[in-house]
Amino acid sequence: MNEILGRYGTVLAALALFTLLALLAPNFTAPMNLLNVVKQASYLAILAIGFTLALLAGELDLSVGQVATLASVVCAALVFAGQPWPLAALAGFLASLVCGVVNGVAVTRFKIPSLIATLAVGVIATGIAFLITGGIAYVGRFPAGFVALGRGTLGPVPLPVVWLVLLLAAAWFLVERTRTGAALSATGEAPEAARLAGIDIARIKLLGLVLSAGCAGLCGLVLTAALASSSPTIANEFLMRGIAAVLLGMTTIEPGRPNLAGTLLGTLVIAGLGNGLTLLGFPYYVQDIALGLIMLVSVGFSARFLTEAAFGGAR
Amino acid sequence: MRTLVTLAAAAAISLAAPAPAGAVKLGIVAFQMSAETHARTANAAKAVAEDKGWEVTLLNSAGSVPDHAAQIENLVQKGVDAILLAMGKPLQAEAQLKAAAAKKIPVVTVMSGTSPHTLFDVTVNEFEVGAKIGVYLLGLLNYQGNILMSRYEGHGGTKIRGRVMDIILEENTGVKVLGTHAMARTQSWREDVKAGMEALILRHAGQFQAIWASFDGQAFVIDDILQAQGYKKGQVFLTGVDGGQEAFRRIRDPNSLFTATVAIPFELMGEAAVDSLDDILSGTPKSEITPGPYLFMDAVLVDANNVPAEGEWPW
Repeated sequence: MNEILGRYGTVLAALALFTLLALLAPNFTAPMNLLNVVKQASYLAILAIGFTLALLAGELDLSVGQVATLASVVCAALVFAGQPWPLAALAGFLASLVCGVVNGVAVTRFKIPSLIATLAVGVIATGIAFLITGGIAYVGRFPAGFVALGRGTLGPVPLPVVWLVLLLAAAWFLVERTRTGAALSATGEAPEAARLAGIDIARIKLLGLVLSAGCAGLCGLVLTAALASSSPTIANEFLMRGIAAVLLGMTTIEPGRPNLAGTLLGTLVIAGLGNGLTLLGFPYYVQDIALGLIMLVSVGFSARFLTEAAFGGAR
Repeated sequence: MRTLVTLAAAAAISLAAPAPAGAVKLGIVAFQMSAETHARTANAAKAVAEDKGWEVTLLNSAGSVPDHAAQIENLVQKGVDAILLAMGKPLQAEAQLKAAAAKKIPVVTVMSGTSPHTLFDVTVNEFEVGAKIGVYLLGLLNYQGNILMSRYEGHGGTKIRGRVMDIILEENTGVKVLGTHAMARTQSWREDVKAGMEALILRHAGQFQAIWASFDGQAFVIDDILQAQGYKKGQVFLTGVDGGQEAFRRIRDPNSLFTATVAIPFELMGEAAVDSLDDILSGTPKSEITPGPYLFMDAVLVDANNVPAEGEWPW
């Protein structure tokens, strides 16, 4: 019983929360509202999946918010310069991958703790975003084809949810069905043992950080399409919520360990809570306090793993 | 921990707005409650709505466009009777405002610009505001001398004020701009202004007679720099735009160099937006409230001659 509660306690708590909201919050269970909650969760989930992959490899990526912003700004700048949107989106995505490579090289080659390296790369990404924009937002004037990527639907399902499902499936396949995925987990959990088993842990950590940045880039692009706008701070606040989602996910399914199902649950809880509190008429600061409490409780479960990821074990 | 969570839950429940039967449900979304002007508008709107017995849900987008869009979406799902955006982003939230219009939820904005999906924007004419302060400042200089400028191009209003000042300077060639700092960052803008203007003030020490700032917050930072460098009242004229108790205090302060501001009636605009929504919900046609996409309010130029006493307002 204790094992079940330890493993699925957060899932049960989330179910209890959603049941409470269904009973108390008007329209919470309306299909349109539930689709909205999933859509609102999808942007954060796309970013948090990448964060989870880096954490699985034992590294903390604090640049995700700014990298998502940089991808958005690069794409928007090229669209506004008259470039075709597929090319602009590709350039934005590539910009995010470059950030991931710089993170990975800093951590694995120069042995800089990921906490410091990714913070620094995030600051650089912000600087470049301001350099490109001059602090001014790109609004409107995005081609309809690009905007549809964020605002379109497949049947009743918003396209951002479709992108999330595809990404989640790919990430799940990587982690659960490939040797690289097993190497990611082994590197994060026991780097010395992984090294002795012949795993190139530097390469695996670099891969984790590149995947994290790539997911952040995708998040930035989907956000840009959904909002038909970009600015040098568009996704910066996603870092804290991404961390909260992943930490919450680490309290369940595989407690103490980053896991994709837990991360998805974490993003759904955060989005559902925000939606539910609004439906109940709570003022905005209650939502901030609720998010802070979630982080506080979650971090207790995952403190050891996070400390090792932030300051580094073997590289 | 259990006690802490219980206390937090109890506090949160006590903060949920009780809904009087049949009360109008109003959703207010302020884009950035940490900005004094946004908070003044939203808090005044909330107060006047609650005086009418309405149920108010006040949300803060914390400067995040994705949050802004999600919050409007959540209010639409909540089924509010009306929505008010304080310094909102209707272009970026176009899809959400379209959904509100489809559900026949009237949306009035304050200083947000216009949208085909909102009724009108309660605002001041920023061109008039820019002209008032620009002509006033050159008048103080008797149309001769040198000035420094602190601009901000990332906000519609401040950008217009800067453009109007450019035209005034083009027409009055006796006044030269020795240096300009264009604020780029929004999250650490005080440091940005301090660094940029400190450098300009030191470089042109003794050569300038006035400083034009695009909004009062910038002018306050500049005022502190000038005072720290030993400048005395009257030695340099310093102007801003926005108004507020801190601006009035500085105008009264014999040590401050802050000379004048154009006071924008944020509280009155918030109240006017709620009163307008009240009329709309009572069946008054929009055209009877204002003929076009704007409901203009008057902004008042305030200097030492008409500065109000502590706690008072110039209207």
